[in-house]
Amino acid sequence: MPFDAMEDLPDEALLARFADGDASAARILTLRLTPRVMAHAWRLLGNRTEAEDVTQEAMLRLWKQAHDWRSGEAKVTTWLYRVVANLCIDRQRRARGGAVTLDAIPEPADGRASVADAMQDRARADALQAALDTLPTRQRQAVILRHIDGLSNPEIAEVMGNTVEAVESLTSRGRRALQTRLAGRKEELGYADEH
Amino acid sequence: MPMNIDDHDDAGLEKYFDSARRTAPLPSETMLARIMADAERVRAGAPSAASHRPLKTRLRDLLGGWPTMAGLATAALAGLWIGTGLPGPVPGTGGPEYLVDITPEMAFDLALGDD
Repeated sequence: MPFDAMEDLPDEALLARFADGDASAARILTLRLTPRVMAHAWRLLGNRTEAEDVTQEAMLRLWKQAHDWRSGEAKVTTWLYRVVANLCIDRQRRARGGAVTLDAIPEPADGRASVADAMQDRARADALQAALDTLPTRQRQAVILRHIDGLSNPEIAEVMGNTVEAVESLTSRGRRALQTRLAGRKEELGYADEH
Repeated sequence: MPMNIDDHDDAGLEKYFDSARRTAPLPSETMLARIMADAERVRAGAPSAASHRPLKTRLRDLLGGWPTMAGLATAALAGLWIGTGLPGPVPGTGGPEYLVDITPEMAFDLALGDD
């Protein structure tokens, strides 16, 4: 199959092709999934180096799982979110703390129209990350999956091994906590005139 | 319709989430290369597809396929038939047969029973 045509295949089909020995399927999956996995790991950990380690480990587990993958049981992305969360929680248990450092703050993902916009975006994202870091682990995970990664509540429930009601409760409490923590920073972050 | 406090705060939060999405860290080329190298190592070192077939299939092929399996089944059935068949006299011995009675008392009981 031509490489271009393979790019339209769903993740599960590509993983099956990789299990059959197709190296180009791994390339497409790497380019498609790694940015999402890494961004999620970074938001959970607040540290780029650790997020890169977790991402590589999660992707390695995906390759190893390919032969035993049971199609129809779970989406590849759902499985990856679960693996990333488990790896991040393991790391956080081993080393409590992990405040965001200047070195850990990532470069912007894309070119921005203006430097001022980019700086403001960065400042807001950093403020949000700092607030997220103060939330309990599962609240943080639920809020990130719902409001940044854009998963539905049933998908989050599958990732977290929870009920949909529990997920709704976690995201609701998480949002309230974030509002409280960010309330004092609106003016500083350029929201004073936005309503 | 007036916006309540929660709606207003959610709208404010959404701007933070937008910023977070726009500033997501991207993996470096080096990192992508490492991940693809891992995939290649797993692919190269993975057992062949043959080892993922069911045990029954692998055993059949190991023994030589269906012809061998049919021969083995025939031999097994023949052995069962020979083993369960009733014993009869061995023809052609000619001379007197040497018998050892290991339960003489049983023979006595049977003799009484016959009366």
